[in-house]
Amino acid sequence: MSWLNFFQTTHKLHHTFGRGINAHISPDEEALFLESFQKFENNEILEAYELFFKSLLNYTDEICNDNIILQRKEDKLHFTLLQGCATVTGIITQQNLYAEANIVEKKFANVALKRYLLERNYQLTYANYFADDAMIKIKLYHDNITMSPQKVFYPLREIALNADFDREYLKSEFKDVTLPQTEHLKTPSQEELQIKYDFMQEEISRVEAKILTLPSNDNTSMQSFLYLNLLFEIDYLIVPKYKIYQQLSKKILEYFSEKESSMEARNEELRRYIDKLKALTFQEFSTNFYEANYTFNPTEKSNFEDVVGFINDSLTKVRWYKNNRYAQIIPTIYRYISFYILYNYGLNPAARELLHILVEVQNSAFFEQLGYPALYDEEKESFAKRTIISRINTIIDTYAVHYPALESFAGELSFGSLNEFSNSFYLLFTNLNFEEI
Amino acid sequence: MNTQAILEQYIDNIIQIMTPYGSGTGFILDGYIVTNSHVVSGLKEAVISAKKFPRSIAKVIYDDPYLDLAFIQYDFEIPKTTLSLASTNVEDGDTTIAIGHPYGLNYTATEGIVSRASRLQDDLEYIQIDAAINPGNSGGPLLNTAGEVIGVNTFIIQNANNLGFALPYFYVREALDAFEAKNEHNIIRCPSCKNLIQEHTIEDDYCPKCGIKLEVARLRRKGYTPTGATKLLEEILTKLGVNVTLARRSQSSWRIDQGSARIEINYYDNGIIIGDAKLCAIPSKNIDTIYDYLLEENNKLSYLQFSINENSIYLSYLIVDSSLSAKEGEVALQRLINYANKYDDILINQFGAIKQKKDQED
Repeated sequence: MSWLNFFQTTHKLHHTFGRGINAHISPDEEALFLESFQKFENNEILEAYELFFKSLLNYTDEICNDNIILQRKEDKLHFTLLQGCATVTGIITQQNLYAEANIVEKKFANVALKRYLLERNYQLTYANYFADDAMIKIKLYHDNITMSPQKVFYPLREIALNADFDREYLKSEFKDVTLPQTEHLKTPSQEELQIKYDFMQEEISRVEAKILTLPSNDNTSMQSFLYLNLLFEIDYLIVPKYKIYQQLSKKILEYFSEKESSMEARNEELRRYIDKLKALTFQEFSTNFYEANYTFNPTEKSNFEDVVGFINDSLTKVRWYKNNRYAQIIPTIYRYISFYILYNYGLNPAARELLHILVEVQNSAFFEQLGYPALYDEEKESFAKRTIISRINTIIDTYAVHYPALESFAGELSFGSLNEFSNSFYLLFTNLNFEEI
Repeated sequence: MNTQAILEQYIDNIIQIMTPYGSGTGFILDGYIVTNSHVVSGLKEAVISAKKFPRSIAKVIYDDPYLDLAFIQYDFEIPKTTLSLASTNVEDGDTTIAIGHPYGLNYTATEGIVSRASRLQDDLEYIQIDAAINPGNSGGPLLNTAGEVIGVNTFIIQNANNLGFALPYFYVREALDAFEAKNEHNIIRCPSCKNLIQEHTIEDDYCPKCGIKLEVARLRRKGYTPTGATKLLEEILTKLGVNVTLARRSQSSWRIDQGSARIEINYYDNGIIIGDAKLCAIPSKNIDTIYDYLLEENNKLSYLQFSINENSIYLSYLIVDSSLSAKEGEVALQRLINYANKYDDILINQFGAIKQKKDQED
């Protein structure tokens, strides 16, 4: 441990930022997984499943989140797995696994909803939607003949992620839908919601004001950076659910996939959506939030090389804007890079935590409002240098067991200005070695 | 005669040829099915089908990698109007008609012009045509406007539009005559010494005349041997009474017709095996009721599931290759084959769903 950490108590996040499990996986995850594999090999099926599920438990401040609850009843293993707004329950016997999750009560299902779910069935590999007397559910059946932890991971991940996604989607898409089984969802405090609402409104106003400062022509790409950064920022910092999340994700997806539309047209789509966000009352805004536990990350693990490639490409763009005297957009691009990565890439926990520090520095006022010590003072243009260095070192120390070649870069950071800090952070971040043991 | 009239007149002579490695065209001539050697891929058997007969297994009795020719034997009814080889020379500028199954589009006639009647490729002459012939045309006949065979469509130049090459009719005549003179089946032509070799005289794949290794002999000896999940899948299908050679569409796809239902099984590169029965299309009335029925049936079904894609109802079985077992796979595929037909009837008769149209020779 670095000497700087001696003065620093462990930094704890009391809020969720970004998507995914947002918690630490078990330190014994790999050992449990391998032990589970061995039990499957020995045909000790229930024991194997128990170990496998334990490998999926996650922890916040070293306290288990109980994202999976197990109950052994003679020759059966019952489990409850939490994934956002969905609860997957299941029974495992020596012969097979059966799991299901409630999606929506049948009485709320109109013809469009049923069509949607039947079309979703065509896209799924392991699970499928069905209806019993009262409820539309998603189910998964798998025999245990050739089972292993690797083989059960993907089917369970599919049912959990899709149950979570589709419950949210149906609630946001069909106005009469009330979701069943929501007891596990906690509503954030009014105070927190107010901070988030105010922040969103301020950021929208800030973007609108910034757009007015851009050159009157040749500003399309700069507008894109501003709008997209705003949406990524809302997603990571505010973490809305239901309708805001669904529409926000859709707008981002459309922006990047509809290449046949001009950038101006795509910008206009983003602007219209941002107008809608701006028009939300606090009451409407507040219905889009809950806190929940997650078991699976929605994004596949990315290659760090891909992340490095994205950063390098983005820094080239920064240099182009600098060389062409468009300095006003550069701080936005520096913010955009981290938000884009956090939105699109399945980062390893160390990389994710390190990037979060940069986000905290770049958005200090917001974090301060939430009750975290500010890492940057915008007015004085000064950094909480010691805290930043200490937190980076703590992360590096924590994950050194997994990545022995990981070395702290905190001492090489440039604290001259926020732009210099961001630039040096990205450059040093791309040099990190996440080679696992 | 115009192109369409020629196609209609000679269509019964046109054969579709399928192996696990691909598909091509052949045509009836002198009581044999003539095609390219590369279409039969060095196999002793190929699956053939024509207007007048369904998918059947036929024997490759002559394989000539030098001329890229092969002859197939099958006990078919000789068509009323038979094809014959040309009686006049081919000239530059002649109109040609290529008949085949390009990209699986059955019985397609493509008109073209002879760009050069004799284009030398290695030591063989080819007819260069400007017709847009495509994969699947290989082995098909190239006809003149009198309906005579002037060549066998053999190859195209990749990435070049409308550059096709056909083996001229006189090589076909020469090969047929030489083969018949042998008065024996299972003949391989050595691409080096050009001699016709009786397969049973070949040892260790060496040409007994010139001593080179005969690749075709090796391939015919080896045959097609599926491995891994493909092997297991074919074993399961065989247990279920399916003739896998006839069902096989490629090394990783199979098709089974059961009553009004058609089951397509595909094994994808990502390791997922999908058995899909594309049943009827959704009706225009009482659609909500049919959705309820499908969702409720999904509750009763194990292994299988109903879904909708592009207006059609699917009954499917999906499994990852590493999870496929003989026991469970047999139960699942048996259900898929039986239930597909049963549900197709229920959905059409009880819910007014619309029966799918199928190409007769598909």
